[in-house]
Amino acid sequence: MVRKKVLRKVSTIVILCMLSGLSAGCYDRREIDDLAYVIAIGLDKGKSNVLKMTLQFAVPTAIGNGQEGGGSNGEKSSIVTTVETPTIYSGLNMVNNYISKQVDLSHAKVIIFSKELAQEGIHQYIHAIMRGREFRPNMFILVARDSAEEYIKNVKPSLEINPAKYYEMNLEAFKYTGFTGNTQLINFYLQQECTCSQAVATLAAVNRYKTTGDFTVKHSTAGNKSRSYPLEGDFKAGHIPRVGEVHSEIMGLAVFDGGTMVGELDGEETTYYLMQTGQYHYSYITLPDPIVKDKFVVLNVTQNRKPAHRVRMEDGSPKIHANIRLDADILSIQSGKNYEYAGNVHILEKAAEDFIEKGMLQFLERTTTELNADVCAFGKDMKGQFLTWKEWQEFKWLERYKDATFEIDVDLKIRRPGLIIRSKPAYSTKGEEMY
Amino acid sequence: MSNVFFKTPLSECIFRFKVYYLYRYRGGVNTLSNFKNFIKNALFFNEPQKTEHFILTESQDASPSEEQNAGDTANTKPDAKKRSRRLPRKTQAQPPLTQNENAPLTISKRLSENLDYMKTKYSLPVNGDIVLREFDIIVKHKVISAFIMFHDGMVERKIINQTILQPLMLLSNLDIKSTEEDIVSYISKHILPQNQLIITQEYTEVINMVNFGGCVIFLDGINTAFVADVKGWEHRNVQRPNTELVIRGPQEGFTEILRVNTALIRKILRDENLIAENISIGRRSHTPCAMLYIKDITNNALVQEVRKRLESIRIDYITDSGELEQLIEDNVFLPAPQILATERPDRVAAMLAEGKVAVIMSGSPFALVMPVTFFALIHSPEDSYVRFTYANLLRFIRILAILFSLLLPGLYVAITNFHHELIPTDLLLAIAASREKVPFPSIVEILIMEISFELIREAGIRIPGPIGPTLGIIGALILGQAAVAANIVSPILIVIVAVTGIGSFAIPNFSMGFAFRILRFVYIGLGGMVGFLGIAVGLFIHGLVLTGAKSFGVPFLAPFGPKTSGGLTDEITRAPIWKQEKRPDFLNPKDKKEQPTISKGWMNKK
Repeated sequence: MVRKKVLRKVSTIVILCMLSGLSAGCYDRREIDDLAYVIAIGLDKGKSNVLKMTLQFAVPTAIGNGQEGGGSNGEKSSIVTTVETPTIYSGLNMVNNYISKQVDLSHAKVIIFSKELAQEGIHQYIHAIMRGREFRPNMFILVARDSAEEYIKNVKPSLEINPAKYYEMNLEAFKYTGFTGNTQLINFYLQQECTCSQAVATLAAVNRYKTTGDFTVKHSTAGNKSRSYPLEGDFKAGHIPRVGEVHSEIMGLAVFDGGTMVGELDGEETTYYLMQTGQYHYSYITLPDPIVKDKFVVLNVTQNRKPAHRVRMEDGSPKIHANIRLDADILSIQSGKNYEYAGNVHILEKAAEDFIEKGMLQFLERTTTELNADVCAFGKDMKGQFLTWKEWQEFKWLERYKDATFEIDVDLKIRRPGLIIRSKPAYSTKGEEMY
Repeated sequence: MSNVFFKTPLSECIFRFKVYYLYRYRGGVNTLSNFKNFIKNALFFNEPQKTEHFILTESQDASPSEEQNAGDTANTKPDAKKRSRRLPRKTQAQPPLTQNENAPLTISKRLSENLDYMKTKYSLPVNGDIVLREFDIIVKHKVISAFIMFHDGMVERKIINQTILQPLMLLSNLDIKSTEEDIVSYISKHILPQNQLIITQEYTEVINMVNFGGCVIFLDGINTAFVADVKGWEHRNVQRPNTELVIRGPQEGFTEILRVNTALIRKILRDENLIAENISIGRRSHTPCAMLYIKDITNNALVQEVRKRLESIRIDYITDSGELEQLIEDNVFLPAPQILATERPDRVAAMLAEGKVAVIMSGSPFALVMPVTFFALIHSPEDSYVRFTYANLLRFIRILAILFSLLLPGLYVAITNFHHELIPTDLLLAIAASREKVPFPSIVEILIMEISFELIREAGIRIPGPIGPTLGIIGALILGQAAVAANIVSPILIVIVAVTGIGSFAIPNFSMGFAFRILRFVYIGLGGMVGFLGIAVGLFIHGLVLTGAKSFGVPFLAPFGPKTSGGLTDEITRAPIWKQEKRPDFLNPKDKKEQPTISKGWMNKK
């Protein structure tokens, strides 16, 4: 009797387990090697259809078996395919017809819009991507200045086999260059939806210079800043005077008004953007020597506090005060002046503060007059001064931003002179010689 | 004959041959069925020889003691076989009872009766290892015949010669200045120089003692027997424990001898309150066990419960404490062990000092400690011997090892089948590349490797010593190299299985390791079925089962299951030794404090 009962109990449990297994069914189970991994998505304006979608796939056998196969150099680590399609998802459906494995977007690192498409507005695509389950929120949004397809085709990393790693490393470089921003999908989406800020995307392009003889400064933005020679930040992507293995490059930001691209920032402006939004880590900043003409001083600048914004309305127009606090190490003093001496250090500090203040004011004024986009999110401070959401919405900050005036206070402290404590002249047959 | 053949036609010839043959060899043409035999002989076919096969049938003469009776009944009743089939139980159950009732339970005054009884009891002379020695002694100028009886090999022969036979046979006629009249007390007080001498009038006691290395002395004319404890069989010495090795700490392990084991513990505790109660288990074997506890620490209810369970066991023979463990544990189906088996006297001593109860069984080098909680099973005795920072590192590594050995293969299957976005891209592509040529789904792949790993493990234990290294080489070659080269499994999977294997070896308790080994397969199945959801559901159910489990009335997840004090300081991590002031709360000991608040006296200002 007892035995029968136990038997019935056990058999019930076994049957239940089997049934639950069957109902679970492993139906959405996919082996890793049954999927094709997209690492970059490019969107251009289509010729025969709305969109031209370019997908870059990683080739696992070329990437994964680096040592074993031996032929990794010969094999291509990625393949690119382009399809014309009405929407992103219909494009994926079309691609699945000729790519043997199912397309998987969970490892896509970047999504690249062409400038043309961005200027028409990309908010509908951003919404579609945010809604999709496979897209990672931390993939980067890029704007290709010429064509997204061309940019992806020119991504041929030489230091790493895996192109996904190229995107990861290259787009994180703003942490030590200050020339691009953290334009991840989630940031872009939040900025785009926000009533107090505007979105930015990293600017990308293919470099056109074939030989060093082709170099020119005519594409540099130095002219706009009344400089006779360009500093390192006075370029946008595609115009950096350089040649080399890799033709793709990123520099500067694309500025959006809502979902529509309205303008571009060059590298230096991007640095100031990062300082204003508190995303600045550290970078080398070159400034003219305060005493000796045509010589440079190079500082390694870091941000030691978050920026403090204060916004108030005066006669119906916003008045914005921003306090930026920076630290710096001396990297190079070309003139050989002894700025590291305690009595002289304030000269250099003052010069650096003035230099940054001037550039920052120029940048901020450009965002009001030319771009009319509050990319630095000054509206956040303004929003705090309203009691109800309705009042704030009726205030229409983003419209009013164009009238804003600025007061910038940069506080820079030089902390360390580098490994040389005192500048000393070099001695030659002609006596003392400044280096 | 040859003339006949030549003159007749062929058919006639064959017929005649047949007739001749049948007359010659078979004795006549009886029927046509004999034709079959003819064919058989023509083909030189031999019937298989009739041999007798032994078949063990159910019969009533199961016990040797009633052999005589059974034989008689079988002779008198020819249809006994049939009857025994009908009434096997009745006939089997009745005779021992009647015999026990009729048996002389007390010792007779006549030596010959005692001799006969002992002879039948021990089936002499069939039984080869029992020694019966008859002799005469002279006590107070009287010649008394006597005999001794003992199991050869279980006793110390020298002691029998020198302290039993020698005094009885030679020294008994010495003039002893004593006025003792009673012969029993005379012999026990003057003649037998034995430290453990039992004087009894009951056969059961005599037999129990003889079965366990005693030497019985019967004398004519008295209804009393002397049993001397002269145990002395060959046994293993105290050696290093085989399963629970430590670097720092005592290196002694239990042996198979009960009293050696209790002595090892008593040697550590040196406390007169340490009680070692004798309990014998086994209706036939009467295996001696010792239940140990410290009188003024351990909760009485716990001691009573253990005693109750031990005394209630009805079993014929018991060989090892592993069997005892299964007989007294709370839940048979719980994967985790509910009683701690340990080879280390120091561990038992420490747990006794906490207020637990230990049971040691003669013949088993593993002591059982109860009750036990989940966390005690992941502790090693070394934890308290090394400094507390080191011990904490060891504890965390062990927890990691448990997680690895339980979950790693399941997680791997879940991630590679359902959650691709969780892996770093580089690793994902590496896995994809290594799996490119593998024909099996990853769940089959991992099952292949896990099962072959378990095979190697089992074979490694069973393999004879000298060819042990061969197995290691074969295993390493097959698993590590050939399987990958043959594209049966991917190299990354070898890493997973290897880490899992190492993890399972890092679990200090053998039984606990077993539990995780079995459950690992469940988690692989769950992970392969519904990914992380399955593993989460599995962990939830696992947690429920463990929380519901009890070991001797103590919840299995005790300091956390029901939250009591001292969970973090004593169970997961380990506080410095001076900080361990209280005994575990879940044991409800009589003395709650282990040491005063300030145990390092030198810290006090004078």
